[in-house]
Amino acid sequence: MTNFVQFFLSGLLVGGIYSLVAVIIVLVYKATRVVSIAHGQLLTFGALFFWFFIGGLGLPLWISFLLAILLSGCGGFLVERLTMRPLIGQPLFAAFLMTFSIFMFLNGILQLYLQGQSRAFPPFLPKGVIKFEGVSVAQDQIISFITSVVFFLVLTLFFKYTKVGLGMRATAEHHTLAQSAGVRVRTIFTIVWILSAMGACVAGMAAANIMDIHYPLPFIGIKGLIVAILGGLESIGGAFLAGLILGVFENISAGYLDPLVGGGVMEVAAYVMLLFILLVKPYGLFGLKRIERI
Amino acid sequence: MRPCGVFDKTYEKDIAIVRTWQHWTILVISIIFLFFLPFIFSYHLVSLVNQIFINVIVVLGLQIVMGYCGQISFGQPAFVAIGAYTSAILTTKFGFSFWLALPISGIMAGIVGMIGGAPSLRIKGFYLAMSTIATFFVTIWVIVHLKITGGNTGITPPPPQIGNFSFDSDERMYYIIMLVMLGMTYFARNLMRSRVGRAFVAIRDNDLAAEVMGVNLYYYKLLAFFISCFYAGIAGSLLGHWYMAITPEQFSLMHALIYVGAIIVGGMGSIPGVFFGVTFLQLLDELVLFGGPKLAETFPWIGSAPAASLGVTAFGLVLIVFLIFEPRGLAHSWETFKASYRLYPFKS
Repeated sequence: MTNFVQFFLSGLLVGGIYSLVAVIIVLVYKATRVVSIAHGQLLTFGALFFWFFIGGLGLPLWISFLLAILLSGCGGFLVERLTMRPLIGQPLFAAFLMTFSIFMFLNGILQLYLQGQSRAFPPFLPKGVIKFEGVSVAQDQIISFITSVVFFLVLTLFFKYTKVGLGMRATAEHHTLAQSAGVRVRTIFTIVWILSAMGACVAGMAAANIMDIHYPLPFIGIKGLIVAILGGLESIGGAFLAGLILGVFENISAGYLDPLVGGGVMEVAAYVMLLFILLVKPYGLFGLKRIERI
Repeated sequence: MRPCGVFDKTYEKDIAIVRTWQHWTILVISIIFLFFLPFIFSYHLVSLVNQIFINVIVVLGLQIVMGYCGQISFGQPAFVAIGAYTSAILTTKFGFSFWLALPISGIMAGIVGMIGGAPSLRIKGFYLAMSTIATFFVTIWVIVHLKITGGNTGITPPPPQIGNFSFDSDERMYYIIMLVMLGMTYFARNLMRSRVGRAFVAIRDNDLAAEVMGVNLYYYKLLAFFISCFYAGIAGSLLGHWYMAITPEQFSLMHALIYVGAIIVGGMGSIPGVFFGVTFLQLLDELVLFGGPKLAETFPWIGSAPAASLGVTAFGLVLIVFLIFEPRGLAHSWETFKASYRLYPFKS
């Protein structure tokens, strides 16, 4: 039982990061209808900026945090303006492939920069371990988790109550209709990419706190995509829940199955779960079923 | 666009692939050239051509399922792996000859591909793309963890043999790869002109409308996946017996992106586009391989071993440029070029 609680808790904490990435991907999808895989790289670069400011230049925590987020926002703006803007009006599949191309391009630059070494943050969060009845949880993971939850709540409120958020939801529903109702669709696209890059930066810091900045880090983006699809691509709450579910499922299955098959269950658990859920519920757990017509 | 004065007077002429005597001359000359290519080219170039031809077979399969049938698939390397491993296991562990193992590995990959493509019956678009990525990872994981595949150390298939003649060098293997590639291209080209190919295109353009018109969606989607993975399996078998070594690392997600990238660069829904795309990307790779060290000399901050990472960067950049400026790929550029010289001095 102690084992189970331990797996559950570690899963939940990792799941918080998956949720944040998935929420960002859903945010972009809801406003622009583009499923983005590029955010895996954006979050890595966000983490890299943060590492550069706090580790390289030795700036204080809050200043480096703000600077990293600001710089990521600029990155998101550049990505939108240079690559996504020319694709407006093209089939959505082209935009999907474009995010793949951005992923490859940034991946190459990341490899050039890292030269095979990994970068670790200096310890800026309390490193202690909380122990309770044989279950131990690292404090910095809890802080990362709380950051993700707070960011998720802010995003939800932003979507519900601000004017820009409403504009985004209108754009998601129908581009032309939103435009005729006075929403500037292109501005919305730019804002969405800037916001999502900033969110990705937060997610990147949280993720890099656990696993260092290295080649595997961008693949959190693919995990986030899986979570977004599990949750149904349409629903922010669904993405959040699916992230937690996936994190817990991964850890529990790896914890119990690894001794039986000799390791590596962690790598495929997410994909197996995705295949099964898509077979049972083709539009994800909380997705809307679209009724089509010719 | 046909030039002035070219008319099709009979039905046979109308449906012909090779239309004029100029086409015939070019075709015959190129086939003769292909047969004598190992005598002209250096050792390195022949192995490059082998690589291109094997990739052409894989991407032809991907073109059928993605460019013609519209089902996005990132799982292609998994089926190449299945073909390679099937053929390697059959020849090393069960004593099959290569000539029997080659078609069996294609069929095996096709059957597994049909299972992997089964989600396409219920889901489409991005959901399908993600599920093919999932299929890919699960397949590779199973291969790594099975006993019979040799895990991470891999397996060493023997070279193909006829009697005592062993196809153990790049030049000898070239002939097998080239002949299989020609056959597969001919089959793909003709398949797309048949009832099956038209059904694929109908599904791509609007699957609901196709179903209403009487196209059996389940049958044709599964058929598309079967054919596509059959191609991948054949290519995998050739790859294994050419390299004489297979390890799971040869089949990564990166390869899936390269195959999809070849289709973007070449052009969706075009058989010549496959050749353009694969050749372009392979030459780009060579360019980076040769140019990388020189670039590192001029700009020392790039680092000492930039070839792999520079290759990825260049690949991503090329895809971005193509998606923005030529989304219909090199095949479309080639068509516009042909139209412009046929109509010269008029503009098309």
